[in-house]
Amino acid sequence: MSPPVLVARDLRKDYPMYGQAVHALRGVSLEIAAGEYVAVVGPSGSGKSTLLQLIGGIDSPTSGTVEILGTVLQSLSDRELTRLRLTRLGFIFQRFHLLPVLTAQENVELPMAEAGVPREQRRARALELLGYVGLEHRARHRATQLSGGEMQRVAIARALANRPALLLADEPTGELDAATGHEILELFRQLNRDGTTLVVVTHDDRLAEQADRIIHMLDGHIVIPERAESSAVHGLPASTT
Amino acid sequence: MSGLGWGLKSLGRHRLRTALSIAGIAVSAAMLLDMVMLSGGIEKSFAELLLAKGYQIRLTPKGTLPFDTDATLSGATELVTSIRRMPGIAAAGAVLGASLYGRRRDSLITLFGYGIQPEAQALYTVLSGGDLDPRDSIGVLLSLPAARVLQAQVGDTVTLVGRLDPQVVTAAVGRKVIVRGLVRWVYDYRDQPSVGTVLPVMQSLAGKTAGDQASLLMVRASEDTAAPAVAKTLRQRFPQVEVSSVADLVREFKQRLVYFRQLSYILGSMSLIVTVLLIATLLTITVNERLGEIATLRAIGISRATVVREVLLQGVSLTVVGSVLGILLGLVTARYLDSILTSFPGLPAAFSFFVPRRESLIRAALVLFLTGSLAALYPAWLASRAAIAAVLRAEAA
Amino acid sequence: MTTLARHLGALLFLLPAFPGPAMAQVAEVAVERQLARELGLSVGDTVRLGPRPDTTGTLMRVSAIYEPRADPAEIAKREHHLRMHLPELAALLGSPDRVDRLSIGLKPGISADSASTVLNRSAYGFRAYPSASIAAESSQTFRVVSRFHRAIAVITIVASAVFVLCIMLLKVEERRLDAAVMRFVGVRRRTIFGALLLEAILVAALGCLLGTGLAYLAGAATNAYYRRFFDTVLTFSVITPDIVWFSVALSLVLGAVAGALAAWRLVQTRPLVLWGRG
Repeated sequence: MSPPVLVARDLRKDYPMYGQAVHALRGVSLEIAAGEYVAVVGPSGSGKSTLLQLIGGIDSPTSGTVEILGTVLQSLSDRELTRLRLTRLGFIFQRFHLLPVLTAQENVELPMAEAGVPREQRRARALELLGYVGLEHRARHRATQLSGGEMQRVAIARALANRPALLLADEPTGELDAATGHEILELFRQLNRDGTTLVVVTHDDRLAEQADRIIHMLDGHIVIPERAESSAVHGLPASTT
Repeated sequence: MSGLGWGLKSLGRHRLRTALSIAGIAVSAAMLLDMVMLSGGIEKSFAELLLAKGYQIRLTPKGTLPFDTDATLSGATELVTSIRRMPGIAAAGAVLGASLYGRRRDSLITLFGYGIQPEAQALYTVLSGGDLDPRDSIGVLLSLPAARVLQAQVGDTVTLVGRLDPQVVTAAVGRKVIVRGLVRWVYDYRDQPSVGTVLPVMQSLAGKTAGDQASLLMVRASEDTAAPAVAKTLRQRFPQVEVSSVADLVREFKQRLVYFRQLSYILGSMSLIVTVLLIATLLTITVNERLGEIATLRAIGISRATVVREVLLQGVSLTVVGSVLGILLGLVTARYLDSILTSFPGLPAAFSFFVPRRESLIRAALVLFLTGSLAALYPAWLASRAAIAAVLRAEAA
Repeated sequence: MTTLARHLGALLFLLPAFPGPAMAQVAEVAVERQLARELGLSVGDTVRLGPRPDTTGTLMRVSAIYEPRADPAEIAKREHHLRMHLPELAALLGSPDRVDRLSIGLKPGISADSASTVLNRSAYGFRAYPSASIAAESSQTFRVVSRFHRAIAVITIVASAVFVLCIMLLKVEERRLDAAVMRFVGVRRRTIFGALLLEAILVAALGCLLGTGLAYLAGAATNAYYRRFFDTVLTFSVITPDIVWFSVALSLVLGAVAGALAAWRLVQTRPLVLWGRG
């Protein structure tokens, strides 16, 4: 059995707010295996997004550790952490957060440019990824010219740019209508079938239902880590891993 | 590492804002360039004027500057002769300045007269006609304004009148002279009606024959580099005379115009402050508006260095474009400001306050570039310090 | 040996003094304060004055040290002056009974213009001018400086206007989400425009107060510096009520116009576009 992609141990996160401490996470531990599709659900304020930010290295825990592919995030410098996010993780946000002045292709190229991938290579991969998400024909359109669903798909392509070991998504369908959300849902299913490890924070039951495991959170705790019936994991095509 | 130029492209997102910022920087840059030209232009222009004919040294009555007073030197001819014999001297000539009149029909026209030694002069350039011969006691050179007021051309005869008795309004001396040539007098102010004769004639017209008087002597050293040493020798040899090198005269002139130099520093500094404020404010607000974008970029692995570089690039781009426009605008405003200042009464028409030189342009451009870059440092630092998680939480809220 | 500037037509040389006639027969000279300080002269000291550096000169006694009338036209020249009785100066120069000019004081009620006309009609060989016209003629230099200052002021105002407009635009655009929400809940454009305009005017007014204070400080600093630099009592910077009112009015207008333009632009934009969704 391959080692887990992610190991989080006793994560705690407190925020100061109006002179008092808000306990967003109260000792959360979990492991995520390669190729797993994990959904994190719970009411607002349960700590879902905080958990995602901690395991993604965007924020640092008050106590506890996060290990990604054997590397303890808390032992890394800011530069090393940034590098890890660039090369080992992929992020998808509720509000897409594409750069409006760049085209869809340029948005996908951005992480590869940062990683030093040569221009021709990254252009080719960007187009390939846009093809994977069904938007090759929109490569030259600015992000502001895309619909919500298209923007989220571009964001997914961007997240896959440097072949991450782990994809983290925070309410990826939160800003989308039902039909568009369904497209994203299908895309995530495809990604997971192709071998991508996914952690998705969501209110969307449809997204949660297709996950291998659902983690319920409440008041900063994991309440019920359910394991759903999952389909077999297929390897991703060589060009997307 | 590459940000794919998103920093630069972001400037195109808010065109009006960017255009106004560039306009603001351009005006500040124009002001800075003008002040740089002003601070260095005065002395350079004056030095060039003094060295127009290569005469590096002036001798004047003790304690005076050339044509600053009516005081004169006595024994001018003898003084010139002994200076010409000194080693290291290429040429020396005496000049007498005097007020006199020209007769036009029944009226007298006020003129300024130069008594010169044509074989060693540094005061004029012949425009048309010919020059005076050193022994020509009936010839005169006119400036174009003088020719205009006297209604005379080359070859015409004019009457010059000197030593006017104010009690009976008659002249003690009158002289008919023939216009040999029209000249441009180097030190004339705009529209100054000037005439020039050989020194003895002007001395006669001005009543300065007794004592062989002259207003100043102009001396040219054989080598420019030897001029300071020659000046020193002349001071030792002629202690009763004021010996001034071009450097001395420029220093004195700078002292008299110290106000403009100081003003140029103050206004130049203010321009830089405005540039800094404009760029820093624009970029800071832009960064604050785009914190969500920046936090996302940081979240997906874009380094702080890339973020800083992109913000700096924005600042530098604004500065470069604004500066180029500003330098062009500055050259135009400099001409206008120069036209104001060169209307000072008594200032030689050939003099300029704003002198566009390559080194001025380069200096202004460098200062602007550095300033713009520095101004972008704070917003760049802000952008790099964006707290990723906190910003993303706020965006999601 | 020190050279002195011309005064009433004389360039004189201050020569080394040595014992001469009895003090009662010695002519008197009044020396200006700056020259006295430079040469270490006091009342009672003797000096020799001559028209040329190679003369012995005439022995004179310093009878007074005076503060010269501050003359802006002379200030940069850094010349030195002294005063003596006219006959003694004329004798010193070897041109007795000769002067550069006569000054005439008129009885009350007589205008300088009419007196000048009468004199010019009846006198030979000289011209009479009202002092005011001489002052106007000799103040050409300052008119040039005034024009220069005005040109600089115009450039500065243009730069300020662009700067203010840019900043107003930025600050108003920063509030576009607030404006969008207000439009969503039904607040009228006019209300938003008015609020932003009022804010712009208030900010401009505060800026005026601060700027006026800074101007007074800068003016005081300028006067202090140049008075010390030129050793004079002249006033170099004067802030009159007219200047203050003009500056305040212009600043308020510029601020208001900039705020109005920025606010108008904001309220003309559709709320959804402001919100970022349109």
